[in-house]
Amino acid sequence: MITAIFMSLKDPRWGNSSQGDDKPSEGRRGGNDGPPDLEEIWRDLNRKIAGAFGRNGGGGNSNGGGNSGGPDARMIGGGITMILGVIFVLWAASGSYIVDASQKGVVLRFGKFKEVTSNGLNWHWPFPFESHEIVNVTQVRTVEVGYRGTEVARDLHEGLMLTRGQNIVNIQFSVQYVLNDPAAYVFNNRDPEDSVKQAAETAMREIVGKNEVDVVLYQGSESIIKEAQRLIQAILDRYESGIQITQVNLKGAQPPAEVQEAFSDALKAGQDAERLKNEGQAYANEVIPKARGAAARLHEEAAGYAGRVVARAEGDASRFKQVLAEYSKAPEVTRNRMYIETMQQIFANTSKVMVDTKGNGNMLYLPLDKLMQAAGATPQADPAAQKPADATQTRAADLPDPRARETRARDGRESR
Amino acid sequence: MRDRLPLVVGLLLFVIVVLSMTVYTVDQRQYALVMQFGKIDRVDSDPGIKLKWPLLENVKYFDRRILTMDTPVPELFQTKEKQNVLVDLFVKWRIADPQLYYKAFNGEETKAVNRLDQTVNSGLREELGTRTVADVVSGERSAIMDEVRKRADGEAQKYGMHIVDVRLKRVDLPTGVSESVYRRMESERKRVANELRSTGGAEAEKIKADADKQREVIVAEAYRDAQKVKGEADAKATVIYSDAFGRNPEFYRFYRSLEAYRESFRTKNDVLVVDPSSDFFKYMKSSGRESK
Repeated sequence: MITAIFMSLKDPRWGNSSQGDDKPSEGRRGGNDGPPDLEEIWRDLNRKIAGAFGRNGGGGNSNGGGNSGGPDARMIGGGITMILGVIFVLWAASGSYIVDASQKGVVLRFGKFKEVTSNGLNWHWPFPFESHEIVNVTQVRTVEVGYRGTEVARDLHEGLMLTRGQNIVNIQFSVQYVLNDPAAYVFNNRDPEDSVKQAAETAMREIVGKNEVDVVLYQGSESIIKEAQRLIQAILDRYESGIQITQVNLKGAQPPAEVQEAFSDALKAGQDAERLKNEGQAYANEVIPKARGAAARLHEEAAGYAGRVVARAEGDASRFKQVLAEYSKAPEVTRNRMYIETMQQIFANTSKVMVDTKGNGNMLYLPLDKLMQAAGATPQADPAAQKPADATQTRAADLPDPRARETRARDGRESR
Repeated sequence: MRDRLPLVVGLLLFVIVVLSMTVYTVDQRQYALVMQFGKIDRVDSDPGIKLKWPLLENVKYFDRRILTMDTPVPELFQTKEKQNVLVDLFVKWRIADPQLYYKAFNGEETKAVNRLDQTVNSGLREELGTRTVADVVSGERSAIMDEVRKRADGEAQKYGMHIVDVRLKRVDLPTGVSESVYRRMESERKRVANELRSTGGAEAEKIKADADKQREVIVAEAYRDAQKVKGEADAKATVIYSDAFGRNPEFYRFYRSLEAYRESFRTKNDVLVVDPSSDFFKYMKSSGRESK
C-alpha cells in the first residue's frame, strides 16, 4: 500500500487534481451523477472479470491437465490477475492526497461530511466511497472596495458613499480575511468569496451613513475601521460562512473630486486660523516681556533716585552741619570770609563792568552785546579776567587759617 | 469454461446497472427530491447514500447552501418626501422547502430569483415610501433592511424559500441631485472656512489686545511703585534737610544764597554791571581807615 502511494505521488496527475482544487466547485457534484458512474461500472466490471478468470484458470488446471490450451489460459489468467492487481493498487492510491500546511482537507463519505483533515499525507476511501475538498485556510485574501490594485480609481462608483447629513465622500478600503471553519466555508454558501465584498460594501455604507462627513474624513478612521470589521464579521457569521475577517484597512477617505477644492480650502482656513492665533501670541510674547523690562527699569530708576536724593540730602546736611559748627565758633569772621570768597569766585569767573554812576548824571553807553561777544570768543585770553583770578589764588594760599583755606578750596571745586 | 465468460460479464454488467439505478448519494450541499412518475414522493434532506426504486423513481437535486441575489443596476425608489433615491441591494436566500420550491418554479432558479426580486422590490418600495432620505441613509437603515427581510420572507415561504438577509448596498441620490449636493457641500465648506478664519482673526485680536492691556497695566503699576519710592525718598530727604538746616535758619539762608550765587554766575557769558558802592568794593575806593 505504501509503495502504491509513493507511486501515485510520482504521478504528477494526482498532485494536480488534489491541490488545484481549493474552491468548492459545483461541477464536481454534477460529475458524481453522470459520466463517473460509467467509470465505476467499468472498474467494478474489471474486478469481477478478474475474479472470474482467477477461478476459471484454477478450475482449468485441476480439470483438464492434458489440454493444450491449459498453460495458455493460466498465463493469460495470471497476466490478467497482475493487471487487475495493479489497477486495484492504483485505485486504492487514488484515495491519497496531500494537504499543505496552509490548508485543510474536508472529507465527504457518499457526499456526507465526514471530517476535516490537517496537513500532511492523507488517505480516504477512493471513489466512489469518499471524496475530498481542499481549502486554503491561512492564506490571507483581500477584497478591495473603491480601488483596484495600486491605483485609486476615483470614478469607481462603489467608493462613493452618503454620510449623515447627505454629504458624499469617496472611500477606499480593503478587507483581509482567512478561513476559520473550512467545513462551513465549503458547505454553507454558494459564493462565499463574493459575500465578503458584499458584506464589506453594505457594512461600510451603513457606518458612513451614520457618521457626519467631518468624522468620516478627519476624525474617526479608527472607530470606523473597528465598527466596519465588527459589522462585516457579524454579517458573515450570520451566513455561517466560516470566514474570519483579520483586518480592515481604510486606504483613503476624500471628498469627491468635484468639491475637493472647497474642502482643502476649509482645511487651509483651519491652518490660517492657527497661524493668526500664533501671530497674536507672538505679539503678546514680544510686548509683555518688554513691558516687564520697562517696569523693571522704572523700579530701578526709582530706587536709584531714592538712593541719590537721600544720599545727597545726607551729604548736604552733613556738610552744612560741619560748616555750621565752625561758624558758630566765630560767626562774624566766617561770615565775612565766606561772603568775600564767594564774591571773588563769582567775579573771577564772569565778565564784569564796573560803573561808578554815583554823582554822575551823564548817560553811560554800554555795548553789552559786544562785550558778551568778546567774552564768548576769547574767554580765557581776556587778561582782565585772568589776572584777578591768579591774584585770588595767590592770596588764598597765603591765608593763615588752614581750615578756612580748605573750605575755600572745596568751594572752588564745587563751583567748577 | 469459455462459454461461461460472457455470462459472468453480462451478469456483472446487469448488477452494476441495477445498482447505479437504485443507489444514489445526497451531497452535504444538496437536497434530493425523489419523484415517482413526476409526482413528488419524498425529500432527502440529510446527506449520505440512499436507495430508490429503479425506473419508477428519479431524483432531482437542489442546492441547500445560501444563495445570493445581487441586483446588477441600482433602482430608483421614492422616499416619503418624494425624493428619488438610487438603491442597490443584495439578498441572501436559500431553499427551505424543496417540494414547494419545485412546485413553484419547476426547479428553475432564474424564475425563483425573478420572483424574489419582485417581492423584495415591492417590500422595499413600501418601506422607503414611509421614510425620509435621512432615515434611509443613516438612522433606520438596519431597521429598513430587517423589515424588508421579514416582509419578503413571509412571501417567499410560500415558495419554499427562506430569505436569510436583505442588505442595502448603495443608497445614492440621482446624478442631478448629486450635483446640487456638491454645491451644498461646497457652500458648507465655505461657511466653515470663513468661520475658522474669522474666529482665528478674532482670537488673534483678543490675544493682542490682552497683551496691550497687560503692557499698560504693568508699566502703570511700575510707575506707581516708582513714584511711591521716589516720594518716600523725597520725604526722607526733606526730613534730613529740615533737621540740619533748622539748627540755624538764618545761616542756612546766607550759606545757601552764596551757593546759589556761585551757581548762577559762573561763566564769562554772564556780564555783571557792578557799582563800586557795594560792600564788596568797600576797600577798592579807599583803605577804609580814613573813612572809618
